[in-house]
Amino acid sequence: MEFVSPEGLRLDGRRPMEMRQIRAEIGVVAKADGSAMFEMGNTKVIAAVYGPKEVQNRSQQLNANALVRCEYTMANFSTRRSDEKTKGRSTEISLVIRQTMEECILTNLMPRSQIDIFVQVLQADGGTRSACINAATLALADAGIPMRDLVTSCSAGYLNSTPLLDLNYIEDTCNRRLQGSCRLHREILLENTKQLEYRRGT
Amino acid sequence: MRGLQLSLNQTQKVRLQRALEKLESLSSKANSNASVIVADSIPVNHEDGLLKGHGTTEFNGEVVATVCGVVERVNKLVYVRSLRARYKPEVGDIIVGRVIEVAPKRWRVEINYSHDAVLMLSSMNLPDGIQRRRTALDELNMRSIFEENDVICAEVRGFQHDGLHLQARSQKYGKLGRGQMLTVPPYLVKRRKQHFHNLEQYGIDLILGCNGFIWVGEHVEVTDDMVVDQVNNSEQQSAKSDVKFFSPGEQERSYTPQETRESICRTANAIRVLSTLGFNITVEVIMETVDLSSSLKQQVPIHEMLGSEFCVLVAEKEAARRSLTKKKG
Amino acid sequence: MLQNRSYVKRTRGGKITKVVREHYLRHDIYCGTPVCKVCDTSQARLSASASTILILDTNVVLNQIDLIENSAIDDVVVLSIVLEEVKNRNLSVYNRLRALCSNSLRNFFVFSNEHHKDTYVTDMSGESKNDRNDRAIRVAAQWYQTHLAGSVRILLITNDRENKRKAIEEGISAETVESYVRSLSRPDLLDLLVHPASEDVIMEGVEDLRPSKRKIIYPEHKPLSEITTGIRCGIYHQGKLRVNRYNPFEAYVGSQSLSDEIIIYGRANMNRAFDGDIVAVQLLPRDEWNEEKSLAIADEEDEEEEGVHLVPGSADDAPSTTAQSQDSAGETCPVSSRPSGRVVGVIKRNWHSYCGSLEPMAKPAGSGGVAHALFVSKDRRIPKIRIQTRQLENLLDKRITVAVDSWDRLSRYPSGHYVRTIGQIGDKDTETEVVLIENDINTRPFSAQVLGCLPPLPWFVSSEDLENPVREDLRQLRVFSVDPPGCKDIDDALHCTALPNGNFEVGVHIADVTNFVHSGTPLDDEASKRGTSVYLVDRRIDMLPKPLTEDICSLRADVERLAFSVIWEMTSEAEIICTRYTKSVIKSSAALSYVEAQARMDDSRLTDPVTSDLRNMNTLAKIMRSRRIERGALTLASAEVKFQIDTETHDPLDIGMYQIREANQMVEEFMLAANVSVAEKILKHYPLCSLLRRHPTPTREMLEPLLRTAAAVGLNLDVSSSKALADSLDHAVGDDPYFNKLIRILATRCMTQAVYFCSGDLSPPEYLHYGLAAPLYTHFTSPIRRYADVIVHRLLAASLGIQKLPTVFQDGPQLNSIAENLNYRHRNAQMASRASVELHTLIFFKSRPTDTEARVVRLRSNGFFVFVPKFGIEGPVYLTPRGEKGSGEWFVDEQQQRIRKMDGSISYSVLQTVRIHLEIVEPQPNRPKLELKLL
Repeated sequence: MEFVSPEGLRLDGRRPMEMRQIRAEIGVVAKADGSAMFEMGNTKVIAAVYGPKEVQNRSQQLNANALVRCEYTMANFSTRRSDEKTKGRSTEISLVIRQTMEECILTNLMPRSQIDIFVQVLQADGGTRSACINAATLALADAGIPMRDLVTSCSAGYLNSTPLLDLNYIEDTCNRRLQGSCRLHREILLENTKQLEYRRGT
Repeated sequence: MRGLQLSLNQTQKVRLQRALEKLESLSSKANSNASVIVADSIPVNHEDGLLKGHGTTEFNGEVVATVCGVVERVNKLVYVRSLRARYKPEVGDIIVGRVIEVAPKRWRVEINYSHDAVLMLSSMNLPDGIQRRRTALDELNMRSIFEENDVICAEVRGFQHDGLHLQARSQKYGKLGRGQMLTVPPYLVKRRKQHFHNLEQYGIDLILGCNGFIWVGEHVEVTDDMVVDQVNNSEQQSAKSDVKFFSPGEQERSYTPQETRESICRTANAIRVLSTLGFNITVEVIMETVDLSSSLKQQVPIHEMLGSEFCVLVAEKEAARRSLTKKKG
Repeated sequence: MLQNRSYVKRTRGGKITKVVREHYLRHDIYCGTPVCKVCDTSQARLSASASTILILDTNVVLNQIDLIENSAIDDVVVLSIVLEEVKNRNLSVYNRLRALCSNSLRNFFVFSNEHHKDTYVTDMSGESKNDRNDRAIRVAAQWYQTHLAGSVRILLITNDRENKRKAIEEGISAETVESYVRSLSRPDLLDLLVHPASEDVIMEGVEDLRPSKRKIIYPEHKPLSEITTGIRCGIYHQGKLRVNRYNPFEAYVGSQSLSDEIIIYGRANMNRAFDGDIVAVQLLPRDEWNEEKSLAIADEEDEEEEGVHLVPGSADDAPSTTAQSQDSAGETCPVSSRPSGRVVGVIKRNWHSYCGSLEPMAKPAGSGGVAHALFVSKDRRIPKIRIQTRQLENLLDKRITVAVDSWDRLSRYPSGHYVRTIGQIGDKDTETEVVLIENDINTRPFSAQVLGCLPPLPWFVSSEDLENPVREDLRQLRVFSVDPPGCKDIDDALHCTALPNGNFEVGVHIADVTNFVHSGTPLDDEASKRGTSVYLVDRRIDMLPKPLTEDICSLRADVERLAFSVIWEMTSEAEIICTRYTKSVIKSSAALSYVEAQARMDDSRLTDPVTSDLRNMNTLAKIMRSRRIERGALTLASAEVKFQIDTETHDPLDIGMYQIREANQMVEEFMLAANVSVAEKILKHYPLCSLLRRHPTPTREMLEPLLRTAAAVGLNLDVSSSKALADSLDHAVGDDPYFNKLIRILATRCMTQAVYFCSGDLSPPEYLHYGLAAPLYTHFTSPIRRYADVIVHRLLAASLGIQKLPTVFQDGPQLNSIAENLNYRHRNAQMASRASVELHTLIFFKSRPTDTEARVVRLRSNGFFVFVPKFGIEGPVYLTPRGEKGSGEWFVDEQQQRIRKMDGSISYSVLQTVRIHLEIVEPQPNRPKLELKLL
């Protein structure tokens, strides 16, 4: 199958180094300390962060660091395919996101507390993992949790000797991919921060 | 736009836009680029022995923000005031909280901090007002003072080895009843001299907890004799243990009139509107908003206060107010 | 820049699913004209002087691709929607169109109308997909018209009447192909036009004029649905049709459902299927399994024409001898156990264009008119093709290519159309090109992408290479190469040093091609597709670009080069004590030719170090060789010929058998040893994905003709094992010196060819290389000219831990397909070389009628085949004039393998020496052929 035409366009009309259209929104879950919705093309995920808060299970409490937990789920309606292996995959992706976020959060500033990250895929079209990482980052920043940096993620792949950025489902399913990282969502947060600031007045 | 999930019609949208733009233009220009987000580097002068405060870290020789917020500089100290985060207690803060657990010699109180706060039985004035050692009997009667899910008001005493401690050593602290507790982002509540407000014309109390919990309730006279009365009553009641068995006189006294209830609701909604718009919550602003809602030609019904029209009005009003203060200044 | 538009699609066989895909519309898609002031013209492909820009409709592309390929059609905008539709309908046309679009000599521009913000059309309800696409084409044409604002004429070419009408209504100029081609006033282009039967009413009229032809000749093909169910129930069998190369009326279908191959006799049973088509076959009743054959040959006109050919090198090249002998015998057909069948439907056509010439016919009276002619393909497997032409007189003496359009059941032959002229029949360049086309050999220059993978020139061994810890510095060794004279792609070199302990260190150094050809690069892909270099008599078609072949990789004398070395320590008895493999840097001290090397060894006065090395090696090689023969390796002979080519005209000056010297055998011996050592090494590390080469043991039936011939001359051959065969071949010494070689040539002809395979596909006993009597064998020593060696180099490097194994090796099916391709290319390259030699032989004899000696090798009812040792050719000698086949004057004695005149006066037996006369005759104008006459 041809994924990049000789004219340099992909199946959906992007060039190899172009991302899909992204859209992000924060504060979508009122109850949570921080939350975000993130869309990459037709992939749509929502993330909510609770904490830092008292550790629920005392035996898990860490005396020097915060405990980060992550739960990744795919909504049943997010995809047409209902495959059985989703469960294992979810656990795996949960772990990946947790480890990524744990690295990034300054957990040593919040000892003996717990941070819960919930991400759910509402609509899946490839690159859910990346979208989830992005959403989780936004949600954490929204929750005011101190972080080293904003982790952002975008999938990239190597198809027929062409490097492709941000694979969609069709490209993703016939491809081994590399996980990449870039910084793109800063504007959204900055804009938001500014808005909050001026509205508080002086 | 954060948290504003109102369905605005076209004119409302434009009006709101204009008001917000005005607000933006009014906000102090000096501080306009002080907003930072995570990993933004903060320009500093490295020579004069710099102190890095909260929300900053050093990376590759640069001072870098770790949270989203506003850069503040106090002499040599540089820190980032986080806008959206849980409450950070400071000693002496007046807070409103909710009891979540009655534990030996202490209550655990949820105060929107990353940990639960602790209110020791010993840091609490006893109902009889006598200073003495707490006995085992007092410990058994703890539930008669605060139960789970009671809303209380207290003061931050300080950090001990086992967490954040509260104290309630005055009659103005204690259990709150007959009112509403509201939750707003903590950064909207500024620390001030006065956090207890008695809005006399409406007969209500307003407690602006520093942790973002706000209490709006019926006014209670805090006088010593009243306290004694109450204590007497409560002692009697504790035997009977329920409100149902109030004597008719007491029932009348505990009855909150319709007007007061409406006032409570009106004030609460005013706070909600301010919170959604992200305006600082001070007693003056609240009062103005409440006045605005009731002084309009057609008084805005309480349930419509959360609607889009009123929201736009408040924004416009705020813009007008600030431009006025600005001119004066 | 991006706009998002999701749309809904129904897809996937069987189930209807809703597919939502993003579709980005862009602002940065340009019109491709260099004169445009708005667009970025850096990508422009159309010519600046174009007065008319053509936009083609899908049906035009699908049907008229040959016309479009003609250089008269130019400045074409190809819309992406058209490309997409063509891709779905016909992949080969799509590939040809793509090739046009990327050809820098042609001005074809692909306009991605589906992603352009102004030319994207949304589906309208109630509109069919076709209508929508037609509308998209019109919208794009309209856009071009307004975009270029009248500076250039935009012409939409469509054969769809409705589309044309709508286009004209919308103000777009539109024409049909016919009228456009007419307007160009180029009669030769009209020949390229295809007239699809359904569209063209005039053609039917023409058919009607010949009522005799209008009878049903072929049974109707079954509809596809019936075929699919038939295959599922096991009534029909699906497989690829392969026509016998030597008997076009016989074909085989390898079926998966039936373990055996199905034979199909006769054109009627083949039912319009071509070689390579995927067909559905129905088995005939068992009692009809055999009688079909005689019927089949009687049915068609006699096409049998035995020309003079080179001596076949193996059983694959030789005509199926069993069938031939049955032919000549004419009686006692042994009952065939092979199932035969008939084609009921063609699932996938393998039509492409074919090379050949027109069947000779009288020139038409009036010129310029439309004439019908029959085209005869050079490939005998292809039936004659009926074409229409307006330039008959020009084409009669030309080699042309023709494409097939259709074959309906009313006509005996398929109908096609003229594609292009290659050149004059008999002209050397023309015929060479035909050879290359026929063998599917890519002679296009390497693309810029491929050339981009080359290291910058001039290239030297860098200090980095020297410092590389995996690369051993062997520059101090006295390395030299021995190759044919004038060899420029030297891929092997040798060294031999006497060790203090009396042993020898012998090294084989192979050009380190994988250092420059990395897996997955365009260069690698291209080499993998070409598979091998092709050696013709007067030219070489390289697998790798010239700088690599002749300079960077070639182990030339006195320059430092990178190599992959196999180094043995051997006793003076040529026992290998240890083997070492390493990447290295070498500096060859001499590039000798075989003749030179031989002369040095023979000249006892020379005592220089290189010569003594040569002698040592020769001694070792002789021991190794004798040991190998001891094991049962066959010394097979082939009749290789060598031309002396005139440097000016490139015509052959002299012709003779290739002489094999000791020096050749010496080099060969070490190469074999290196290949075997490498095969062992890679198989040990990669038992499942090694690329090896095997030579299957011939079956008894295959050796039958050899045994029969041998028996006739009183020779008893033992074929029970390769060892036995080798011994009995050694003992077959006749009264004349050439006898033994002749027997060996005949033996070689009975073997199949060695093939590449992937070690995971077969079990170890099948790895055997029969001819070399080696349990394992591979190709390692010629990476410059064979891709298999490149793969083996990678495997070896990986097994030494030098490089990671490319991921291809984990993909079994893909590895398998690479091996298949290598076999195919290898075979084609051999066929092409042989054809080239044949061609040059013909040219050689053109001016030199010769008398020479020949040996009878095969008998026919009306003559016999002779082998001419001096020229390495084989051809028929007719005892009776052609056409009077089997007139009864001559009688073939099968038992004694001799042909006798009825009156007993003359007889010829197999292997007898005869004197013949060779001469070029032209029985028909422009059809020269070599004729052998008995003296």
